[in-house]
Amino acid sequence: MKSSQDHLIDELQNFMDGDLERFQALGKKIIKDFKRQQRIMEQSDRRQRQEYDQLQEKLLEVKALNLEIEETQKEVVFTMGAIGESRSKETGNHVKRVAGYSKILALASGMDETEAEMLKQASPMHDIGKVTIPDAILNKPGKLDAQEFEKMKEHAVLGYEMLKHSNRALLQMAATVAHEHHEKYDGSGYPRGLKGEAIHIYGRITAIADVFDALGSNRIYKKAWEDERIFALFRSERGKHFDPVLVDLFFNHINEILLVRDAYRDIFNQSNQSGTAL
Amino acid sequence: MENLHIEATKYTPEIDLNAEKNMLHFSGKSYPENTFDFYQPIIAWISAYFQEETKRETVVEMDIIYFNSSSSKLFFDLFDILEEARQNGQKITVHWLYDAENENALEAGEDFKEDFESLDFELIEK
Ligand SMILES: [Fe+2]
Ligand SMILES: [Fe+2]
Repeated sequence: MKSSQDHLIDELQNFMDGDLERFQALGKKIIKDFKRQQRIMEQSDRRQRQEYDQLQEKLLEVKALNLEIEETQKEVVFTMGAIGESRSKETGNHVKRVAGYSKILALASGMDETEAEMLKQASPMHDIGKVTIPDAILNKPGKLDAQEFEKMKEHAVLGYEMLKHSNRALLQMAATVAHEHHEKYDGSGYPRGLKGEAIHIYGRITAIADVFDALGSNRIYKKAWEDERIFALFRSERGKHFDPVLVDLFFNHINEILLVRDAYRDIFNQSNQSGTAL
Repeated sequence: MENLHIEATKYTPEIDLNAEKNMLHFSGKSYPENTFDFYQPIIAWISAYFQEETKRETVVEMDIIYFNSSSSKLFFDLFDILEEARQNGQKITVHWLYDAENENALEAGEDFKEDFESLDFELIEK
C-alpha cells in the first residue's frame, strides 16, 4: 500500500519528468512567495509590537489624564464650596465635614457608591449662592432683621441659578442641593416651601449634614452646642425640619459621623486649616 | 477603458484608476475586512489596463499611511503586475509617498523598492 505521501512524491516526480522548465518556474514562484510571506510576517510582528507598546503608553496617559480631570473637578467643586462658605467666615473644614456626613447618609439611605461619592462632592456647594449676599448681611454679628433675612434667603435660588446651566451631572446635583438645602420636611422651609419627598433626597441629606455641623461649630456670634443638645434638637425636629428616616439613619450612623468630625476638626489659634487660602 | 474610482472608507483607501491620465492613485489606510475581495476588482482593472496594446507612461501613486499584512501581500501582487508590464515595454513610475513621522510607511516603501529593482520606484517625503 502506498501512503498519501508516496502519492505526492509520485505526482511530483511525474511533474518533474514531464515538464522540468515549468516545474522550476513554479518552484521559483513558490519560494519567492514563501519568502515574501515570511517578510510580511516579520514586518507585521515588528509593527504589532510597536503598536501595542504605543497603545499601552497611550492608555497610561489616558488614565493619568482621567485622574487629573477627576482631581481637578473635585478641587474646583470643593473650592467653589469653600468660597461660598468663606464669605460667611466658615472654615474649609466645614465643607469637608458636610461632604463626609452627606456621603455617610447617602450610602445609608441606599445610594450606590458612585452616587454617594458624587453627593459628597456636590454638597459642599450648597452655599455657593452666598457669594452674592452683601457682607453687611452675611457677617452681621447680631440677628438679621426681616428684610435682611429675606435677602439672605435668596442664596438658595441664586446658587441654583449659578449651577443649573451646566450639563455635568455633578453640577446638576449641586444645583439641586443649593436650591433645596433650606427646605424643611414639614413644608416650612424656603425658597419654595416644598414638603416631604417633594424635597429631593440630595437636599434633605445636605440639610441634616449642614445643620449638624453648623450647630456643632463655634461661630463669631455663638459657641458650639453640646452634642446632647444637638441630638435633642434632631429628635424634636424629626419629621419637622428633617426627613424622619434620615434622622433615624443619622443616629444609626452617629459613630461614623463623629469620626468624620474628628478627622476634620477646626483648629483655632493656628493657621486656618482649610488649605484653600481663601 | 472606464476609469475606476473608489471612495475611502474607515478601513479602505481612496482609489483612483484613471486610464486617460495614466494615473493609478491609492491614498489612505488599508485594512479591509476582506482584503482579497476588496482588491480583486482593482487588480483585475490594472491587469486589463496593462494588457492593452497602447504604450504609455503610467504613474502609480501610493500614499498609504497604514496597512495590514494582507494588504502588504496585495501590494506585492500589484508590483508583480507592474514589473511584468515593465518587461513588456510599458513605462511605469511608482511614487511611494510617506510622512516623515511615519516610520512604518517609509520602511515598507524601502522594502518594496528593494524587492522590485526593475521598477522605477521613488520614495517621496510628503
Ligand atoms: Fe445655606
Ligand atoms: Fe454650610
